[in-house]
Amino acid sequence: MSTDLRKAAPAPADSPRPPRGYLRVGNRIALPVQRSSVVVVLCALAALLVAAVLTLTLGRLGIRLTDLPSAVFGGAEGKDAFVLNRLRGPRLVTGIATGAAFGLSGTLFQTVTRNPLGSPDIIGLSTGAGAGAAAFALLLPGVPVWIGAVLGAVGAMALVYVSTGTGFRNPGRLVVAGIGVAAISTAVIQYVVYVVERDAATSLTAYLNGSLAARSWSDATTIWVVLLATAPLCALVSRHLAVGEMGDEISASLGSDPGRTRTAAVVLSIVLAAGAVTVAGPIAFVALIAPQVARRITRGAGPRLLLSALTGALLLVLADLAAQQLPLFDDLPVGIYTMAVGGLYLGYLLTREWRRGSL
Amino acid sequence: MEKGKPVTIDAGTHTGGAPAVQGLSAREVTLSYGAAPVVKGVSLEVPHGGLTVIVGPNGCGKSTLLKSFARVLKPVSGHIALHGRDVRALRGRDFARQVALLPQSPIAPEGITVQGLVRRGRHPHHTLLRQWSPDDDRAIALALERAGMTELAEAQAGDLSGGQRQRAWIAMVLAQDTEVILLDEPTTFLDISHQYDLLELCAELNRDGRTIVAVLHDLNQAARFASHLVVMNHGEVVAEGAPHDVLTAELVAEVFQLDCDIVPDPRTATPMVIPHERVRAGKTG
Repeated sequence: MSTDLRKAAPAPADSPRPPRGYLRVGNRIALPVQRSSVVVVLCALAALLVAAVLTLTLGRLGIRLTDLPSAVFGGAEGKDAFVLNRLRGPRLVTGIATGAAFGLSGTLFQTVTRNPLGSPDIIGLSTGAGAGAAAFALLLPGVPVWIGAVLGAVGAMALVYVSTGTGFRNPGRLVVAGIGVAAISTAVIQYVVYVVERDAATSLTAYLNGSLAARSWSDATTIWVVLLATAPLCALVSRHLAVGEMGDEISASLGSDPGRTRTAAVVLSIVLAAGAVTVAGPIAFVALIAPQVARRITRGAGPRLLLSALTGALLLVLADLAAQQLPLFDDLPVGIYTMAVGGLYLGYLLTREWRRGSL
Repeated sequence: MEKGKPVTIDAGTHTGGAPAVQGLSAREVTLSYGAAPVVKGVSLEVPHGGLTVIVGPNGCGKSTLLKSFARVLKPVSGHIALHGRDVRALRGRDFARQVALLPQSPIAPEGITVQGLVRRGRHPHHTLLRQWSPDDDRAIALALERAGMTELAEAQAGDLSGGQRQRAWIAMVLAQDTEVILLDEPTTFLDISHQYDLLELCAELNRDGRTIVAVLHDLNQAARFASHLVVMNHGEVVAEGAPHDVLTAELVAEVFQLDCDIVPDPRTATPMVIPHERVRAGKTG
């Protein structure tokens, strides 16, 4: 046929070797891995490790740094055992996975809606899950809380989907509908908590803002199971999300199915957010910020699922470190810290999107 | 997974007896976005190896028909075939290795470079675990070169001018390395010199053996570059054939409600539309 591309003959069979920038395993596997991303991911992991060490060692009850390795790997005794196994260990492990789940959930939804404001915490997904969790935990004890969180999340998203009139397409309507649904969900949480517990300030803030205080190993297990079960599916959908960014027509003509990609991403996002809310409550803005930070510290396009997860974990662990160590109040719920920081970022984002005319 | 295996479907092996139609064809295709059909029972054979241009007034269904050829829009009835085989029976990826579409308003992802954008065109040649194929680098380099974007490969897509951006998208479509390329109003938003650059590029690609189908607005450009001209009106094909057979003053009057003379283009001798002055009520001369 033609003289150029058509004749771009396949390379000799013995040397189909990807160039630099690919992770290659045998002849069957070749995945794009940029050196800069590897560096960034390693830095994020290192930062997470530092934050984890600080979480375990700081403060009056902190494990001494020199005792930490033997406590973690050998088995702790006395006060250290209590801090590691009861007080801070489960809280830290839960926090890492919860932050990662929020980060993933955020990046999936933001990519599908092609807008940073199409984030679970802005459009009422997290709050809806929180309302469901509160209702099930307080009104239907005995039924697993996660069922309530999933139902709440699905209900909130169905309400948003219907009330925009255009599904998840128009970011402006999505945000407005989401704010409405989030307000309804907040009202549900307040109602449920006050019906059940008259003197419910602590319980209320936990369900409204999210908290990592007094988490158990079973919470840690729950969220890690959700995270590890959804991770391979996220990896599967990632490649299609990347072409989906260019619009439905291009992605269909590249052989991807945009409708199926969107559905898969929204379902995964709901499951991840519901899982995170089940163990920690609707902690605000981690899902909003983590993908944006990930996007800014690496160049190029496409959803960065791994980095968004790590950034989410780091953000939440740092916020919880602040919640535990800042001498403002004794153990304020971590959600209040993320709310304070995230609120500023949301303001910036709204102004920017407004100027760009995408709202 | 089945790398190296030719994906082109052999013509003639699936329809017993009669030889299959080469390339894309539509049979009795009806298309709609809602209740009212936009394209009504159109049958059309796209000449394989030709440069087909579809023209027609706004809302005549030309872009819609193009989308159905690209397998993006599913016909309400009838079917689209590639080499005689219903495109719905093909896997998305296999079809995407043979037919590419450049839609009217593709979205450049935030932060993407031209090279990154062009690399996305290789998507149908990749699998989940093997997101690289031996032809990638060569196809991408050639696509950038053909579109004249080699120098700008590292530039941010968001920083490009309209003409450059359109060429970047063309490069993406070229990297897809398909035998058929569908272009939906590719000259919109381009100034006149970039319009002709783009049309010349289409003609060049066509000479190199690719089948091109483009939806255009400008009748003179269509007549100049098309080897096969298709005129649509009210969701139907009203005329098709060589431009000098198809483009007549009567047809333009009927389809576009425009009185005109048809004269030969002084440079290419293709038919050229010279509209008459329109006399409006209340105005003189």
